[in-house]
Amino acid sequence: MKRVRANAGGWAAAAVALALGLLMAACSTTGPASIVGQQTLRIGVKADQPGLGLRLPDGTFAGFDVDVARYVASKLGVRPDHITFVPVTSATRETALENGSVDLVFATYSITPERETKVTFGGPYYVAHQDTMVRVSDTAVRNVHDLKGKRLCAVTGSNSWKRVTQALNIAATLAPAASYSACVAMLREGRVDAVSTDDLILAGFAARAGPAVRIVNAPFSYERYGIGIRKGDLSGCEAVNRAVSQMYLDGTAAALLQKWFGKTRLQLDTHVPQFEGCG
Amino acid sequence: MHVTATPPVASREPRRWRPGGRFRRLGLQTTPGRIRALAAVTVLAIGGFFIVASIAVGNARDGLRVIGHDAGPQVLATGDLYFALGDMDSQVASILLTGRESSPGARQQALRRYGQDRAIANRAALQAAELSAGDPTDQAAVRSILDGLGQYERLASRAMVLDEQANHPAGPPPADVIAVYRQATDLMTLELLPPAYNLTLEGGATVREAYAAKRSAVLSGRIWVALAGLAVITALAALQVFVAAHFRRRLNPALAVATLGLIFLTVSAVRLLSGEAAHLQAAKTSGFDSILTMSQARAIGNSLHADQSRFLLDPGRADAYSLAYLDKSQTVLYVASGNLSEYYTALSTAMKAYRANPRALGFLGFYGDEARAHPGPAVTAALSRFQQFQADDQRIRQLARAGHDRQAVMLLTGRTTGSPGYDFDQYDQAVVSLIGQHRAAFDQAIRAGDRALGRSVLGNWAALLPLAALGAAVLVVAGVWARLAEYR
Repeated sequence: MKRVRANAGGWAAAAVALALGLLMAACSTTGPASIVGQQTLRIGVKADQPGLGLRLPDGTFAGFDVDVARYVASKLGVRPDHITFVPVTSATRETALENGSVDLVFATYSITPERETKVTFGGPYYVAHQDTMVRVSDTAVRNVHDLKGKRLCAVTGSNSWKRVTQALNIAATLAPAASYSACVAMLREGRVDAVSTDDLILAGFAARAGPAVRIVNAPFSYERYGIGIRKGDLSGCEAVNRAVSQMYLDGTAAALLQKWFGKTRLQLDTHVPQFEGCG
Repeated sequence: MHVTATPPVASREPRRWRPGGRFRRLGLQTTPGRIRALAAVTVLAIGGFFIVASIAVGNARDGLRVIGHDAGPQVLATGDLYFALGDMDSQVASILLTGRESSPGARQQALRRYGQDRAIANRAALQAAELSAGDPTDQAAVRSILDGLGQYERLASRAMVLDEQANHPAGPPPADVIAVYRQATDLMTLELLPPAYNLTLEGGATVREAYAAKRSAVLSGRIWVALAGLAVITALAALQVFVAAHFRRRLNPALAVATLGLIFLTVSAVRLLSGEAAHLQAAKTSGFDSILTMSQARAIGNSLHADQSRFLLDPGRADAYSLAYLDKSQTVLYVASGNLSEYYTALSTAMKAYRANPRALGFLGFYGDEARAHPGPAVTAALSRFQQFQADDQRIRQLARAGHDRQAVMLLTGRTTGSPGYDFDQYDQAVVSLIGQHRAAFDQAIRAGDRALGRSVLGNWAALLPLAALGAAVLVVAGVWARLAEYR
């Protein structure tokens, strides 16, 4: 009997120690799977948009989106050599996030209420404006309304042509294409009359296409470039937003905008955008 | 109290334990040694209980502090700041739009409201700055808003002076006025509003994190407090039984008092922690979440109203303002639609279905979240006024599209009963009262949580726990002291 009694106190002490240990452990547990705390990240970027996301001949990626992605990943504690860039297109962004083939998307990905039903958006990390590109010979197009009756390039999965033909109800004829690089090629070959999308995208192409094309310079929308995150990853979204805040605060955003678009005529905004909220 | 020492009976003389060296070294082979050891274990267990309970109560206190007194109020203050700033720009747009045709009182009224907004913005900014003390990033954000506000006011005043000089009829003012207004509104929407909105969101993130961490810590703390309490009570009982058996006493009063005290303390602490977890949950889910959602809905809603004015004011940006209006409307209340006329139709279909069956929610966005979480007359009222606001918008845009700009402006800026301006104010009132309801629930839950922490037998829990632990330890020592003295 005595042995039992003597052990009772020991059991109590052990229970207290166990309780303390577990309590400490309980304090440090986190929620469900999130990009926060990951050692490696697979990031979806565009492969064919000069200035934003472009795959170089050596297989690496370069552009504003790519640099922003690197910055945000570093703030999430991921080493540069632990980032894998994965090419995505406008049509594959949602699926790539949903099926887990990428963890984040930085691909001129405008936040729209419709997309928000499938994806959680961090950011925006920049607010671009939709504008229109035509052949330089085409002097009649002064703003988006002049696209009425013209052949407009429509990239699958992109929101830009919807802005023109649906939201603004302008009766342009749609010519489907897989990407904006294809659109610009079609514009130069005369197979479409106009490419309408974000000024940052157009600026990159205009710099390469030379004097054959021109940008109308009549911006008509606010395109908030979001960071696509798997739906419901709130702590990931909040962490990404903190990184974007930091990027504007420490001057990196201004430097990157200058680096990629400083030579264009675009008016660059170096203030932190209004975030969408992680919902 | 019978403390007269009875010499131990011979038969109760400590029996020799097996000659194991460990027990001899610890002195456990003698009765006093065992009493000392058991008492020491009990005192240690009391210390353990004190630590576990203090951590759990500390978590509850931290949770209440962050949610109720720190990030929570920060969200409210920055929400007010955002609204007041946005409304300043909205008033300026409306003044510029009506030109000389504003009714005599209307211009004065808009200017008065502009001044009130300015005062509210100032107050809210100061409050936000106070609440963000210790966070240099947040403080820098508030400072930059206040700096920018002075610049905004100069631009807005210049636009209004130019506008008055232009003496134009209702509708878009001359190009020089628009140019200055563009500078002002860009400053507002690019530099002043975003940091205010982001501060609100950051506060929301802080609350979400604190809630998740602290509530689960309080709940698991409750289990550990119960276990630690049980351990102490078991140790006390073991000591009591041991002493009673060896000294032929039924009860050791000091140990009995300590045991009763610990039982009471354990039960009270477990009840306190359950209550605190419930208060935190009520504050978060019945109060804070909806306050955050509906504050955002109110802020975006007000900028919808401003976008109506800007759409008529600045024809060069009319497309951009219309598209922004559609995006913002869908953020507030999402129904699938590719353009505004589809939106009006889808909205009225969704509202009809909602009125028929409030559980069948055919919409998402801020209102989807709110109607799902807290169905009831308050959200229904706000929803029907939102629908009215959108119906007015449809009328205004139809007039503008048909070239009746002047009529569209007069309709938009009217404040008489049944006019769109009046309807918007009614809508905003409904949102404010919805927020007020959640605010009351929030305040009540936080107050209840604070009260429970500050209320115990000996005042507040922070003071009670160390005193109780010390008291129990003293009682244990006192309880065994007299018995041990019999051996000296």
